[in-house]
Amino acid sequence: MPWAWMRRGVAVADPVLQVRDLSIAWREQRVVDRVSFDLASGGTLGIAGESGSGKSTLARALLGHCRAGSAITGGSIRLDGDDLAALSEPELARRRGRVMAMVPQNPLASLTFHMPVGRQLEEVLRLRAGLSSGAARRRSLELFGQMGLPEPERLARRYPHQLSGGQRQRVVLACAIACDPLLLVLDEPTTALDKTTEAQVLGLIRRLRAARQGAMVIVTHDLNVVADICDRVLVMQHGRIVEQGPVGAVFVAPRDAYTQVLLGAALRVDEASRAAPTAPGPPLLEAAGLCFRYARPSIFRRAPPGPPVLDDVGLTLAKGEVLSVIGESGSGKTTLGGIVTGLLAAESGQMAFDGVALTARRTREQRRRIQMVFQDPLSSLNPRRRVGDAVMRPLRLFHGLDARAAARRVAALFEELGLEPGLLTRFPRQLSGGQQQRVAIARAFAAEPDLLICDEITSALDASVQAQVLDHLAAMQRRQGTAMLLITHDLSVVWRMARRVVVMQGGRILESGPTEAVFHNPTSPYTAALLDAATRAARAGHTEFREAIG
Amino acid sequence: MIVLLLRRVALSVVTLFLLASFIFFATEVLPGDALDVSLSADELAMMSPEVLARRKTELGLDRPILERYLGFMGGLVTFDLGRTIITRAPVADIVAMPLRNSVALAGMTLLLALPVALAIAMAAAQAKGRALDNAVSGAAIIGYSIPEFVTGLLLIAVFAVWWPIFPATITASTDDPLSVLLAAAPLAIATTIIGSIAYLGRILRVGLIEVMAADFVERLHLSGIPRWRILWLHALPAAMIPGLSAAALYAAALVSGVVVVELVFAYPGIGAELVRAVTRREVHVVQAIALAAAVCVVLFNLLADLGIAALDPRTRR
Repeated sequence: MPWAWMRRGVAVADPVLQVRDLSIAWREQRVVDRVSFDLASGGTLGIAGESGSGKSTLARALLGHCRAGSAITGGSIRLDGDDLAALSEPELARRRGRVMAMVPQNPLASLTFHMPVGRQLEEVLRLRAGLSSGAARRRSLELFGQMGLPEPERLARRYPHQLSGGQRQRVVLACAIACDPLLLVLDEPTTALDKTTEAQVLGLIRRLRAARQGAMVIVTHDLNVVADICDRVLVMQHGRIVEQGPVGAVFVAPRDAYTQVLLGAALRVDEASRAAPTAPGPPLLEAAGLCFRYARPSIFRRAPPGPPVLDDVGLTLAKGEVLSVIGESGSGKTTLGGIVTGLLAAESGQMAFDGVALTARRTREQRRRIQMVFQDPLSSLNPRRRVGDAVMRPLRLFHGLDARAAARRVAALFEELGLEPGLLTRFPRQLSGGQQQRVAIARAFAAEPDLLICDEITSALDASVQAQVLDHLAAMQRRQGTAMLLITHDLSVVWRMARRVVVMQGGRILESGPTEAVFHNPTSPYTAALLDAATRAARAGHTEFREAIG
Repeated sequence: MIVLLLRRVALSVVTLFLLASFIFFATEVLPGDALDVSLSADELAMMSPEVLARRKTELGLDRPILERYLGFMGGLVTFDLGRTIITRAPVADIVAMPLRNSVALAGMTLLLALPVALAIAMAAAQAKGRALDNAVSGAAIIGYSIPEFVTGLLLIAVFAVWWPIFPATITASTDDPLSVLLAAAPLAIATTIIGSIAYLGRILRVGLIEVMAADFVERLHLSGIPRWRILWLHALPAAMIPGLSAAALYAAALVSGVVVVELVFAYPGIGAELVRAVTRREVHVVQAIALAAAVCVVLFNLLADLGIAALDPRTRR
């Protein structure tokens, strides 16, 4: 029995949900491969894994649903005495919403945009819980209240787009628990939300769990969320379960190599930062009073000017220093990067680069000295150009190297970044995500820049690949003495790479300082919330470990 | 909502003003005035310069451009479209009835075609990728690409010649009541309907398929909401939104663009009148018809915008 070890820790006492050898195929490909697990009544199971691991497919299967093109090819899903894999569609429809319910992945698009949210909840209550319209209306207001939504009466009349992301997620949650299902499946319930809202929604989910008898499955890529509210965890990779067990046990002593990589990527502020210290050099980039906003009014657009995306932002970066800008989507960090790169023009404010004023109109030399690496490596590389040629371009353009010298330099860059020479003649699509991003880094370094702007360069990569890319980037940066502006939402990347950090929110700088000082003693509640959300996985391992040893 | 309505209406008025100006300058100011254009070369040669000058003064063609432009625009406000050059009949009288008939034909077509197109689109979207859907898509492309004069003549051949149950051409006259006129024109209506169903059905099918794959539809499905209810109450209004703008342009094109159908069936509409006006070189009538077509385009777009605002709360600001 090659997978006998996987059965260990599968069974739990008093299971409400029993999944055995479940396989799901998309066309010819197995996306969920012989998955087995149990879930106790009242229990909360976290399904962790990266994109493409099959976790969302598994989540939908728990409601007996497969998207077009995929189908259950084997195994069973026993819930409340029925095998969902064997039930007909009408029988499943009778159970959906009542026996098992789902909070789907994208709360922002999961509500009907042309219908007031109150009516959408009442619809579920009338059709699925069998309430009369009067009772449904009263119950919906009650549920909105329980979800912590302000002024339920007024809120019920509003449309989804008039609600914030957190409010929409609460409405979707209310719809899902309207009939008090035995099993509630939440697919990435907090991924689209900012960290402050995430903490509130997770608090709500925890309260709901305490008040209800039913079981919960939470699908997430974020181990911090698992650590926060799950009691059991199941780690998936390539459609298989690589490890499962109680959260404490798995987080303290992960047996599987992949789980170890995932946990290794989690932020641990109790360990020393691995970022290399930099000697204070002369300032390279100085920016002060940067402001930026979109949607300026014109004759054809009467739209009011948008809120400021950047509001009086200033920073300095020394030669050879790594400075990290952290913040969530909408904080203005990418706009800041765009202004420094010259892709966007600031509305007001000054910038100086190496003592010379820097505007959106750049000299060729300034363009060479300031390079950028983007979030999505595939879309930042020309799909019709071999990657070797892509890296050769800046060499010939900026340094005027002839073809042979440029080819030698490209080969050297590839070697430094751990890319095999055989990859030179490949097209971007034929490379893995990590390789593509390293090619993009090689292209940026080919220009021999003094300042490199990295915008979320690891967000599109798997945890195992992230570490590799960051290590190569750090080594390269140190060798070349390039200053780096590292824009990211991932605090563990900051901890690993940058000695100094700037925290942004809503277009403003909240605080800045040495990374260790900011992470150990954050002065703003927002930074504290970010840190709290990012260190739960590490702390879960820690506390359990302390409890275990006495 | 009211602000949006007012702003849309104001924008439409501005658009019409610019269009009217364009029509005036394009037809009157470009080489040759209304009289020159309406007379043939032989007639011009026969007239003495004095007679010609007198006629021009009568018609007001000797006045400066700006004065004539102001007169034209002023006339529009009071619905005075001027008189024809040869018979001196009021243009408004000539254009009114054919316009009414064309609008009636277009309205009738949409009224009958929309529900059918909707039903077909819903059936096809439900069976996406299966035989029914493929058949519908194929038929729609054929129905949409066959020219109307072919469909029209085919219908005449089948239903008026081989199997004479409908009249081949319309015997009713321009000023007959609409009921008489439309009752006399089943084949003309059928011809425009076939193309309309194909066109509108295609647009609605694509919209529905897109919406049925949306996240909110999956959520409803996973809450056990019946499929028909998801389709009618949630997906359909969302799918109508992109279809509305297209339908508006289509309806406007129906009013001004059914020339072929009107000629094939001798339907007394605006298209037939336009052809007559062009051959008789009645500049004022051409102007009036061009304006009527512009009004239709602007009006239907306005209606579509308001319809979209009613369906999509995100557009109401």
